[in-house]
Amino acid sequence: MAMLTNRRKEVAVAASLVAPFVLIFALVFLYPTIRLVQLSFTDSPLIGAGNWIGLDNFKRLLSDRLFLTSLKNNGYFILLTVIPTTALALGIALMVTRLRGKLQALALAIFFLPYILPVPVVTHIWTWMLDFQFGVLQPVITFFTGKPVAVFKNPYWVMPAIAAVTIWWTNGFNVLLFIAGLRNIPRDYYEAAQLDGATRWQLFARVTWPLLWPVTALVLTLQLILQLKLFDQVYLLSSGGPFNSSYVLLLMVYREAFQLNHGGYASAIALVLFVIIAALSVLQFQLLRVGGRR
Amino acid sequence: MQFRKLLTATAIALMAIPAMAQENITWWDFLGGGDGVRMKALIARFNEEHPDIKITSTTLEWGTPYYTKVRTAVAVGQGPDVMTYHLSRLPLGLDEGVLDQVTDEDLKNAGVTKDSFFPASVKAASSDDGKLYAVPFDIHSLVLFYNKSYLEGSKFLDADGKLTGINNLQDFEEALAYAKEKGAAAPVSYATADDGGVYRVFYTLLRQQGGELISGKEVLAGDNLQKAAKSIEVMTNWATKGWQPEQAAYEASVALFTSGKSAFFLNGVWEVPTLVDTDKKGALGFKWGAVQIPNLMGTQTAWADSHAFAIPANNKMSPEKRKAVMTVIGWMEKNSLAWAEAGHIPAYMPVAESAEFKKMEPNATYSALANTASYDPRSPIAGVASPTYDAAINIISPAIHGYAEPMAAAEQVKQDLQDKLR
Repeated sequence: MAMLTNRRKEVAVAASLVAPFVLIFALVFLYPTIRLVQLSFTDSPLIGAGNWIGLDNFKRLLSDRLFLTSLKNNGYFILLTVIPTTALALGIALMVTRLRGKLQALALAIFFLPYILPVPVVTHIWTWMLDFQFGVLQPVITFFTGKPVAVFKNPYWVMPAIAAVTIWWTNGFNVLLFIAGLRNIPRDYYEAAQLDGATRWQLFARVTWPLLWPVTALVLTLQLILQLKLFDQVYLLSSGGPFNSSYVLLLMVYREAFQLNHGGYASAIALVLFVIIAALSVLQFQLLRVGGRR
Repeated sequence: MQFRKLLTATAIALMAIPAMAQENITWWDFLGGGDGVRMKALIARFNEEHPDIKITSTTLEWGTPYYTKVRTAVAVGQGPDVMTYHLSRLPLGLDEGVLDQVTDEDLKNAGVTKDSFFPASVKAASSDDGKLYAVPFDIHSLVLFYNKSYLEGSKFLDADGKLTGINNLQDFEEALAYAKEKGAAAPVSYATADDGGVYRVFYTLLRQQGGELISGKEVLAGDNLQKAAKSIEVMTNWATKGWQPEQAAYEASVALFTSGKSAFFLNGVWEVPTLVDTDKKGALGFKWGAVQIPNLMGTQTAWADSHAFAIPANNKMSPEKRKAVMTVIGWMEKNSLAWAEAGHIPAYMPVAESAEFKKMEPNATYSALANTASYDPRSPIAGVASPTYDAAINIISPAIHGYAEPMAAAEQVKQDLQDKLR
């Protein structure tokens, strides 16, 4: 009997400890999500009630050219960022770990600095650096292409340019994750391998890479989620143009909801994006784990 | 006894409050620039002259942020008592139900009548069934600024140094070529990399051909598509000939003209104060003028919009407060001469036709445009910060820089906007 009361007590204590989180989670995440799903089946405006229209919003999505363009652009952006930023971060991390003491701290700080900047600051810096008339980078572009390029106004340059800015901005965090991962690899492994006459490449391919794989998988997954949620940079640098070549799903959600007052339709797009992100990231993480186990 | 006296005194004091009550009016606007300064001065003057009414004004960010806030605030009944509104946004405003009807009694309380405003502005301020939902305050339009130094000795300046002889596109382009020869870096400056800058020029050229951007539920119906393509073609031609600046942001387009590198400048009347002030400081270095956009394509008209006053729907105003709000609006209309200094044409005709306004330059020169102005199409997807503005920066601006053929661009404008109208 005594044990039972103890157990009850434990449950009560546990519940009271978890309750604040559950309540806040339910209030600021769960409830809005449920409402979002409800809204996506209605034609309601941003605020106020609407009519239940079943799957009409989703049917309309499938024939909405802008939605398909946005989906394509999201995919293109993923290609441009996820693997390049992971590879770059790994490279930088490998170099930074070779440094020692204060020099390492300095190098780390330099790479991490952009990450602490708010988006508007980042986009402002880059708009000026790439400014068509006065940008300090225009001579570089002129050197390669023969003429200055208004990068955020050019349908071919805009996405790669936004990708470059994004990588510059967010790479520091990935470097940090990789450095933490690298530090977790015991030095003995390297010493043992070296004793057996392993070359530098072999050290990387046979020791570092497999042992670092869980971190790499994590970085890839985090990046996938983050880059699918692309909005701020596009909104501030190109507003989706030119010719919709940088239009992405979240920008569409924003425009439908806040510019055109279509709460229901915007919710439907948001829901689709939510499902895409959830499905892709689960799938990717599972695939990467399988890949790592080999 | 003492206590009782105190109580009585308090009761009397409390009773006295309503009699001396001051109506507090919450005012929202989006006027952040030079016109904001002039508006704040007007509000201060009003507060001084009316001890019984006090306006507390808040300036919010122009464009989508402003209109989103209005919509959310009105929905929960937390809107202001009076707000500024673009008449081009009125169709969407009616759709959203954020505007309260302005009744005849309201107008009586303001001391104005419907027919004392320019008819076009009243039409733009009314719903389709003719009910008034805002009180027009001004008419602001695209105008043509010119730098006299580039035109001296040509047939384009008359004996008084006024612009003359531009009666069609050919004349205008001849003047541009002339200015180019005289060394103008960008003979005609406008914001070629800005949504509003591109849209206003495009819409003016379209309307001058008698074109309609949106007719009912159809975008660029019939031969309007060709007319839109023609407008884009004209703008593209100005770019290829090196007559207009490449990828000019709004500020850059203003700077090109004020620094004397452009002979002509296509922008709204709201840039008049910039030129007046710079000239006063002696920093301009050239003589300038502003006229209504010449008839380039066949019809005398130009893009225009109005600032107006509106009362949010879903308000719980007492009749006294509403009366005070209308007093504010009426007073602003009657004192809109001070507002005209920001370049605008007062929508209230007694002021627009007053001797004082007729002396005001350059406003008086271009004020005739009020009768031929082309407002934005009446559609929830048109107006300030709307999809039509997005289409200008997304499609027309890259097209005039050579990234698409005029016809292909016009077709994409049609397609994109039509999708939004579904």
